[in-house]
Amino acid sequence: MSFLQSIKNTVRSRSIHVSYVNVGSCNGCDIEVLAMLAPRYDIEQYGIYVHNNPREADILLVTGAFTPQWEDKLKSIWDKIPEPKAAIAIGNCPISGCVFNRRGSFVDPPVAKHIPIAAEVPGCPPRPTEILNAVLSLAPVVFKDYEEKQQ
Amino acid sequence: MGTSITYYLQEMLRGEWLRKFLFVKTAPYETPPHFRDYPRLTGKECNRCLNCMMICPTPGAIEVLKTEEGWNPVIYPGHCIRCGLCVEACPEGVLMSGRILESQFYENTGYSYTFHLTVDTTRCMRCGNCSVACPINKEEDPQLAAGGTGANDEVIMRVKGGELQILHEEKCTGCKTCEETCPNSAIRVARVIEAIHVAEEEG
Ligand code: SF4
Ligand code: SF4
Ligand code: SF4
Ligand code: SF4
Repeated sequence: MSFLQSIKNTVRSRSIHVSYVNVGSCNGCDIEVLAMLAPRYDIEQYGIYVHNNPREADILLVTGAFTPQWEDKLKSIWDKIPEPKAAIAIGNCPISGCVFNRRGSFVDPPVAKHIPIAAEVPGCPPRPTEILNAVLSLAPVVFKDYEEKQQ
Repeated sequence: MGTSITYYLQEMLRGEWLRKFLFVKTAPYETPPHFRDYPRLTGKECNRCLNCMMICPTPGAIEVLKTEEGWNPVIYPGHCIRCGLCVEACPEGVLMSGRILESQFYENTGYSYTFHLTVDTTRCMRCGNCSVACPINKEEDPQLAAGGTGANDEVIMRVKGGELQILHEEKCTGCKTCEETCPNSAIRVARVIEAIHVAEEEG
């Protein structure tokens, strides 16, 4: 492993920028993402920063069952995130549509049909610890030795 | 003022303080055992009444399937919302989650349900298919089931006097055979659920 790569690995493991997008959830999962910021879970102590700019993000948290309005927009948000990147489906909605996936409803789950999803956190809503664990266990897999893996 | 600045500097340069400031993290949060989680099997025998599937509010969250060990409910994370209703509705205590079973025991709560039959008289053709097909009618009046005519008033419903009469709604088991047999979608079965407080009536 080159020296540069090991520096990148260290930096990336201590600074993961998370951006989230709600593609039609009830807001419950968004509240749990918010709860991760509270002192009890304190996501920032792991170097994870939640903010809403896809161009600065490493990980995209997707909540919601995918309503028709997102057809073109989610893809464009995903394209704005610089490599290396990963998307995590938060909650049942992006996985199965949860209670919204009924006959005659307009939602179009799973979100994995629209953008590549690297991990899924089931639950309605998932607990903050579960989301946190997903981010922490996914980040090393996606970001470690990224440049060397590309070659 | 000078003393308090020195005090702070002294305090903050202690190795212990620096170590804490830079490295200490909040203790990992353990999920307490009384939290409702995905329902787990208790190992009791499932009698395949499907109450759990009927009460589940989420599409595709629970199925009662046959495996090597016999019939058992299977929960699908990604669909299940951990509401615990299936745990409460199961008459056999096959499922458990958090302390639902304990509190149900101490508080004597449960569900009772009845079935309500509605006939849309403008669609019903008085063919009598439903009353012939109904498995409860077959038990109550074998003649009706075999020949299509019966004189027994113990049946759930039958065509009498030019209309479909519902006689004993309370005997309905909710199988929906009538709904499926009806050529004109005239009859509907609705399940009416009540949360009750007496364990003996628990459905
Ligand atoms: S806990 Fe609720 S959502 Fe999950 S299987 Fe049981 S009834 Fe369905
Ligand atoms: S409610 Fe209980 S006994 Fe009935 S099918 Fe479900 S798990 Fe089996
Ligand atoms: S639901 Fe089943 S038991 Fe009830 S009336 Fe219809 S056929 Fe008979
Ligand atoms: S099967 Fe349908 S149409 Fe025929 S008597 Fe029953 S409700 Fe009426």
